[in-house]
Amino acid sequence: MKSTLIVILFFCAGIISAQNFKVEKVIGNVKAQIGASENWSQIKPGEILIANSTISTSEKSSVSLDGNNIHFVLKGSSALPLTNLKKMSLDQLILALAMQDMINAPRKKEEANSKNTAVYGAEINGIKEPFVVSSNFGVQRLNGAVQLAESGFKESAIIDAKETFRKYPETSKMSNFRIYFANLLADLNLNEEAYDDFKQIGSLKLDSEQKSEVAGKLDMLSKKLMKN
Amino acid sequence: MIGTVKISAQSSFGLSGYWAPLEENSTLMNSYEANPENFSSLKDWGLSFSYGGEFSNTPTSSLYLISLSKQIGRHFVSVRYTPGYQKDFIFNNGQSILIHDSTSQALDSKYTYKELFGFGYSYKFSGQFSAGFSLRYFKQEFDQESVEPVFSDTLYLNRFSKIDNINFWRADFGFNYLPSKYFSFSLSTINLFNINESAVDTTLIPYEIKKYKGVAFGLSVSPAENFDYNFIYETTNALQTGFDISFNIFNGKARIGVTGFHDNYQSPFIAGIIPAISFNTKFLGVSLSGVKYFSNRNIQHTFSEFTNEGLDNIINNRYSYDKAILTFTFALNTIAEKEVQFLDANIVRDIYPTMSDNYLNRPFATAKVINLTHRTITIKPSSKIEGINEDRIVSPVVKIGPKDTAEVSFYTIIPQSYDKKKTGISFVDFFITADNSQPDDQIQKPILINGINSWDGKVINLRYFIKRDYQFSMDYSKKILSRYKSELDSMAYSMSIFYKAKILFNNFVKELVYSANPTTAQDYVQFPNETLKLKGGNCDDLSVLYSSLLESVGIQTALVDYKPQNGIGHVNILIDTQLSPDQARLITDNDSKYFIRKNESGVDEVWIPVETTSLTNFDNAWQLGSEKFNRDALDNLGLAKGIVEIVDVY
Repeated sequence: MKSTLIVILFFCAGIISAQNFKVEKVIGNVKAQIGASENWSQIKPGEILIANSTISTSEKSSVSLDGNNIHFVLKGSSALPLTNLKKMSLDQLILALAMQDMINAPRKKEEANSKNTAVYGAEINGIKEPFVVSSNFGVQRLNGAVQLAESGFKESAIIDAKETFRKYPETSKMSNFRIYFANLLADLNLNEEAYDDFKQIGSLKLDSEQKSEVAGKLDMLSKKLMKN
Repeated sequence: MIGTVKISAQSSFGLSGYWAPLEENSTLMNSYEANPENFSSLKDWGLSFSYGGEFSNTPTSSLYLISLSKQIGRHFVSVRYTPGYQKDFIFNNGQSILIHDSTSQALDSKYTYKELFGFGYSYKFSGQFSAGFSLRYFKQEFDQESVEPVFSDTLYLNRFSKIDNINFWRADFGFNYLPSKYFSFSLSTINLFNINESAVDTTLIPYEIKKYKGVAFGLSVSPAENFDYNFIYETTNALQTGFDISFNIFNGKARIGVTGFHDNYQSPFIAGIIPAISFNTKFLGVSLSGVKYFSNRNIQHTFSEFTNEGLDNIINNRYSYDKAILTFTFALNTIAEKEVQFLDANIVRDIYPTMSDNYLNRPFATAKVINLTHRTITIKPSSKIEGINEDRIVSPVVKIGPKDTAEVSFYTIIPQSYDKKKTGISFVDFFITADNSQPDDQIQKPILINGINSWDGKVINLRYFIKRDYQFSMDYSKKILSRYKSELDSMAYSMSIFYKAKILFNNFVKELVYSANPTTAQDYVQFPNETLKLKGGNCDDLSVLYSSLLESVGIQTALVDYKPQNGIGHVNILIDTQLSPDQARLITDNDSKYFIRKNESGVDEVWIPVETTSLTNFDNAWQLGSEKFNRDALDNLGLAKGIVEIVDVY
């Protein structure tokens, strides 16, 4: 039912319609993985990156990207699939979350084990922004996702983070990231989703401050859900 | 007794009255008088006895009638013996002998009219139309006393009887039309053929039974439930009209009816009535009927009148007396009575033999059926597809309320051995069976049977093509993998699945080229051995082949259905590597080339998309598969929008 030509057109269509980004500025060691390639290559200013590329920055490095009316800076120790560097509507986010549920059922509760991580960051709008210096690619992706959220791409940041938690199971035990993205869901009034996340977070190893925050959020969200 | 008036009654007169010959009536239609076309709703054997008496001083036989009937398929035959259908006339023939003592002795004549037996046959062309004929044998015996002189030594007179027999056959033809269960129409001849057995003494012609030719029209309608109105008219200006009402009681049907009859020769206008009451069950019937004439039957008639008028009906004429008849009927049903009937049947899905399991779960046909009984019944639908099924395949039973209709579904089993490649039209016989061992009804419909390579275009059904050729795939995969035994044995078990998938792909692609629809323009899917034999196939064929090879060695796969957008669709596959997410880095440094799914035990596993039309090597196929899956299924939310679907093979 299908022809070679059709298949080729498929792949071309994907490439043509992809949102490309121009590399404006590079500081330090910044690499890109194009599409499904296994190789990482250094990127340079002026280079055009296609949307299905993933970029990764080393510690104390950064890259400035421009395209599709988006200007974005990815800081050090971060990674970001460019497909997630896009504005999503709330409806699109809900659809994407439903799709993730279809593919990936929620993970089983596991014991948290977040050794060799140091947390620092600032509070933005009452939400403590996590950042972890790590060579773990999953953590780098979470760092990237946080920066997406900071830059106003909360919806795509949530999708990026949730995918990362699934593909890099150890990151799902990192309570600071989990709390951060659960708060994003609550910010977007996705109360049910946020409540589910906080419930899962409650089973992780939390410090007293986190325990208090999670309990407070669960209480607040359950009240909101009751009202609805 | 001697008659003085015209003595001709209608031909259709019967001793049990005229009853509606509707399909539902179980009364035995053994009256060739009103039913020369031999119509019957009997299902198998029927036997009836009519016993009665005439309110006269000289009764004839008390046994009026014995009849035996049998339905054989669409044929219905009946015979009857009618010893009571007899009329005797004894009278002085006007001659007398004067004896020497001046006394005289009258000479008598005795005329006997009998209908001895009859035979009927009819054929049911359809549920609405039947036609048939009846053949009846009549005997007429004219016994006239006379004297003849005998000359010897003395002259004396010898008194003797001169007996003349004028026997004849009567044949009539007719048909019945029942367009609905509420209406019936019949048309039959009267005295169509009369064949005398021997030459007729012309002096006896005035005394023979008259044989006026004509036609009888019958009509019965049921304007209301359990009420029939009946009417029959003969072109000799005779008629019968009446009604009957019925009600269900004691698992049977009771009927009360009355028939009035008129002919051109008797008076008053309605010469008499035949009231009747009957009770019929499935196997037994009993009826009591009578004939009541409205004119005085005790009038003397002269011989000259009899000579002038003659006789044309043995059981109903000017000289007939009131009667009472008790009739027993026995329906010896070795064939079950129809309890349920098809109204229509529709094929809802053509047959794709390879997708055999589909027909176990979803019906290929539906039918509307009606419960003909007055009780709730459970029916068993079954079907047999010519060229596919050797026996009837029984579908789930359905309950239907009294006189209600229901839709029943038909499922079927297609044997694994079915291997016809050619598409063609066949026939399917549908059966419905109620309480009986034999089906109550049957209907046949044409059905399209596709060849084994035909596919309905639904990706989910490619699973059947993957499974069918399993033995071949297993042999092929094992043969290839055995060449890499040492490498596979030396690696960690967790990695072996991924490498098996890679080895199999890299080996079979060497033999193949991609081609769009190499065999036919229609939806046609090759089995794995055919794809390898033909050295090519399209995305469906290649996905079926690769999935079959993997599944045959225990590697779980899924088909990705990229549904047609602007008429263009695509299929490739996903492979379950059984690696945990943490182990994904063992096979790739690019986390966009896999995604996570839970297995049956709830454990996350790494799945990879592979583009089977990329006949270069596994790595390229994986890369292309990933890019397409990420873009169409994930980034464009194809899975959420239903544009892309993952179909697990198992």
